[in-house]
Amino acid sequence: MNSLVLLILIIAGGALLSYFGHKINKILGNITVFAVALIIPIYWFTQVDFTETVSFTVSGFHMELGYNMYGRLFSMIVMILSPLALIYAIGYMKDQKKLATFYFSFLFSILGMTGILMSRDFVSLFIFWEIMTWSSYLLVIFLGKDVQKTGIKYMVFSAIGAYAMLMAIVIIYKNTGSMMLSDYFGSFAGFTLQTKLLTGILLLLGFAVKSAVMPFHVWAPGAYSNTPMAYTSVFSGALSKMGIYGLGFVVVNLFAQANLEIVGYVLAWLGAITAVLATFSAVFQHDAKKLLAYSSIAQLGYIVTGIGIGTELSIMAGLYLAVLHAAFKGVLFMVVGAVERQAGTTDMNVVSGLVRKMPFTFFTALIAIIALAGIPPLGGFVGKWMLYESLINNGNFLMVIMIFLSSTAAFLYCFKFLFGLFLGQQELEFDHVKEASPIMIIPMLLLSVFLLVTGAYPGIVFKYIAEGMTNLGFHNVNWQMSVLTNAWGDSVNVQHVYLSVVVVFVAFLIFITWRGYKHATKISTKDISSSGEMIKPEDNMTYAMDFYKPFERVLSPILKYKINKYYEDFGKGLEALFDFMRRIYTGNGQTYAVYVIVFLAILLIFSKSIFGY
Amino acid sequence: MEGIGYKILGAVLTTILAFVVGMFYGGFSRKITARIQNRVGPPVWQNFLDVLKLLFKKTSVRYGFMHHIAPLWMISMSITTLMFVPVLNDGLFFTNLNFSGDIIFLLYIMVMGSLGMALGAGSTGNPNSAIGVSRGLTQMVGFEIPWVMALVALMIQYKTTSVTGLMEVQSQSGTWLMFSSPFAFIAALLAMPGMFRYSPFDIVGAPSELASGPISEFGGKYLSTMMTSGSIFAFVKLTLYVDIFMGGASNLIVLVLKTFTLYMYPVLWGTVSARFRTEQSVRYFWGWPTFFGFIALIYAAF
Amino acid sequence: MYNDKESQKIVDIIQNYARKHSLFILAYGTGCGAIEIPPTMTSRYDAERFGIRGSATPRQADVLLITGYLATKSLKRVIKVYEQMQDPKYVIGFGSCTINGGMYWDSYNTINVLDKYLPVDVYINGCMPRPEAVIAGFVKLQKLIQQGKADGWDIYKKNIDEYKANQKKIITNWVMPDFNF
Ligand code: SF4
Repeated sequence: MNSLVLLILIIAGGALLSYFGHKINKILGNITVFAVALIIPIYWFTQVDFTETVSFTVSGFHMELGYNMYGRLFSMIVMILSPLALIYAIGYMKDQKKLATFYFSFLFSILGMTGILMSRDFVSLFIFWEIMTWSSYLLVIFLGKDVQKTGIKYMVFSAIGAYAMLMAIVIIYKNTGSMMLSDYFGSFAGFTLQTKLLTGILLLLGFAVKSAVMPFHVWAPGAYSNTPMAYTSVFSGALSKMGIYGLGFVVVNLFAQANLEIVGYVLAWLGAITAVLATFSAVFQHDAKKLLAYSSIAQLGYIVTGIGIGTELSIMAGLYLAVLHAAFKGVLFMVVGAVERQAGTTDMNVVSGLVRKMPFTFFTALIAIIALAGIPPLGGFVGKWMLYESLINNGNFLMVIMIFLSSTAAFLYCFKFLFGLFLGQQELEFDHVKEASPIMIIPMLLLSVFLLVTGAYPGIVFKYIAEGMTNLGFHNVNWQMSVLTNAWGDSVNVQHVYLSVVVVFVAFLIFITWRGYKHATKISTKDISSSGEMIKPEDNMTYAMDFYKPFERVLSPILKYKINKYYEDFGKGLEALFDFMRRIYTGNGQTYAVYVIVFLAILLIFSKSIFGY
Repeated sequence: MEGIGYKILGAVLTTILAFVVGMFYGGFSRKITARIQNRVGPPVWQNFLDVLKLLFKKTSVRYGFMHHIAPLWMISMSITTLMFVPVLNDGLFFTNLNFSGDIIFLLYIMVMGSLGMALGAGSTGNPNSAIGVSRGLTQMVGFEIPWVMALVALMIQYKTTSVTGLMEVQSQSGTWLMFSSPFAFIAALLAMPGMFRYSPFDIVGAPSELASGPISEFGGKYLSTMMTSGSIFAFVKLTLYVDIFMGGASNLIVLVLKTFTLYMYPVLWGTVSARFRTEQSVRYFWGWPTFFGFIALIYAAF
Repeated sequence: MYNDKESQKIVDIIQNYARKHSLFILAYGTGCGAIEIPPTMTSRYDAERFGIRGSATPRQADVLLITGYLATKSLKRVIKVYEQMQDPKYVIGFGSCTINGGMYWDSYNTINVLDKYLPVDVYINGCMPRPEAVIAGFVKLQKLIQQGKADGWDIYKKNIDEYKANQKKIITNWVMPDFNF
């Protein structure tokens, strides 16, 4: 049997099995989920043949599935992150109800993503896209928190994206008479400028919604923070990358080929603006989930910028950051989930001093944060470096400054995340907190090891990126195991960096620990120099509320304008409109008949000029 | 001239050099401040005695793992940065890892140390430390912007992103970049006091306000490691400025003269000014320095 | 300890030299004598030339400067601060009040002899002592450190029971942990 069909059957079967397993009882269900989580990646890495294709015709539409190298790169993200998140979910969701639905939707969203990445025609792309959207929607409203606002926002924006995509597909079908992606790419050059822009931008719109580019990011903070954290790590890590996947081939394969780099450029600017504004928003959050949600938007902004610029190095940077973002955001959402489960809250004003209780969780969070902040010697730096260098080599100096502003401000929320949850004083009310169960820790540790390794050997990721970029029209992409080089020939040897840091660190660790450690008494966080003030165990001296008040004061002129406000105003406007509409719908049959006739008349008059046929 | 032993020797010697010079700079700045205030002041080697004394402290406290490794984190970042900054123009001995890094890398590794210290300070549970960190990070967003603008301007103008490349540009043209790209130099110079945290930008330590801020719970060996790291880092920053804007140095004496001249600028400014509030400090950096940064960028791009 | 014999090892000489010339003081300035600290530190008398420098937190400080009378209430604080300091640490009693109670010798709420509660290395007498006297006191402390005789911290550790008993006699509502260094 065809390995691709089998892959889809395995995932779908896994979904059904976990569903029924959990319907029967919890233990059986968990064992099934665990088995499925192991089988899917093992099958994918060993058995799937990436050259195979499968095609069939359904009611006149020819559909074809098959991997290309670009899709495989993204599939790897899905196939590594999702099973780990599934395993994590076993521990994380232990006390929840309705687990059957949860795992069913979870696996179906994996199915959707897998399908998207191997569809070669628009019909299957659209079908899988909708599977992904709907299953993730079910998970967004799973906890029943804030369904009114979050769920509807997510649905509305997803629908806008989906219908934009559908419209693009219809126009493409009308112009080429085929549903195949390759036909569209092939005949793109022959389109009129209007069609080019119309189809391309509609497709971009569809993808941009999923990758939360300004101004379509509004759904993201709520959706990311209200979903069960086990899924959010996939949601932010892998699912948002489907948007990036689409943006990649639309911008590079279509617009750059057709000398319309301007579209990519505009997209890059949107990405940079997204990065800056989302970072500023993240700094002022006091809920760790919201903080990470905004941070995800900002990181996706970098990726979009990299893709939008469209040079070899920048696309490589974008894709590399996409892979890394999946890893570190995966870890961080898992960390937040662990804290939420163990301590009961993720409000950074409330929780503090968990480092002594949850050392492993803290360690993984630390690694992930260093990677997120893009500080050498860990992997995140490599992506940041390539992004900057590609921008500088292109002479996009304003964009460099914006990205730099955003990533410097990112240190603020990076620190706040670690400080708010793990550092600060230990509180009595969190005395009962214990380290999360190993089944939650192990996925986090595995991903952190990946982050540690990519610091010295980013080449292991470059290899797949370079292969994937052949599908974007970049052949013989230049990469080395641990030396980064830009277009001007300047380079960074990350292995040397790693070596230097580790050697000095170990040398001084020995120096300071030898004799020093024994003489150093470990004391409680209440025993601080407080000018003689007696701090009682129940006093909380942690400074966490309004942590970045000075920064807020600096930015106060800017912060007045929030994009959410515009949407809310827009919503209010719509409400008024509907109020008006209600008056039109009088309930009289004759009035309706008149409306229909008027509408048809308008359509007849204007159809020529609008649609051209 | 190759060989791993030779390399290690070079690295150790560079570190010692940076430590000694940085320490003496600290002593000189204390002496000069004292003279300006009409005092005798401590001897110039006072900082050595302080570090030595702290090293000989018999006990110390720790608040856990993060507190224990924070000073190490700082010093490993300082020394790593030192390894990647060219000390001398054509020094055979001090070419540590100069060709393995570039300016973007240096920008990033230079903030890593502060993050380590911030985490160590956070783990103590002292509210003063946390306030200090909050101020410090906010201020960092301030001064990094003009500083990066200046560097990006240079990189775009001379089509190289490495420090060695910029030094080569200077030795070929025979003029220092501070003359050939004056606006970038002005922006970088105006941003510089923020990095050294002398008045009016000493809002992080703020002894009378925050009880020395992030370091308030570090004592003994930990504090001594931090002071060592601080003086090495001061040397690194000054050397980087000299390399980029003042044509580097061909021997140690020239290097010391140039860096010391540059160092006097934040020190002297510090002696005559009072402390800013955090938002004033950031607004300062986003005012004139950023304006000059913009001019430098436009100058470079067109 | 290591200075019982008259001869010092070379390490001790270096150690003591560094300690002697780098004194970070933590001034516990609740007594009226505290007013003499600023002139001591600033331009007129310039204590920094001896390596004396103010420090803001007990973790970094070497010398605890008790400037004058101690109310029973504030004794608790002083003990806590003292115990938070890192060894080796020295205490300087500043003013007559710390020696024998001074003009508060019959007050109901001040302690009379500081040495009963904390190991004082050097007393500076006077009510209040002038900056010259303060500097003389510091020089005396430096001499003691050089000779290795300023070992109050060690005495405190050895006779901890006695000190604690004395302290508890004064402080009736003892809320802090017994021994926290
Ligand atoms: S000795 Fe004199 S100056 Fe000092 S505290 Fe006592 S009364 Fe005040």
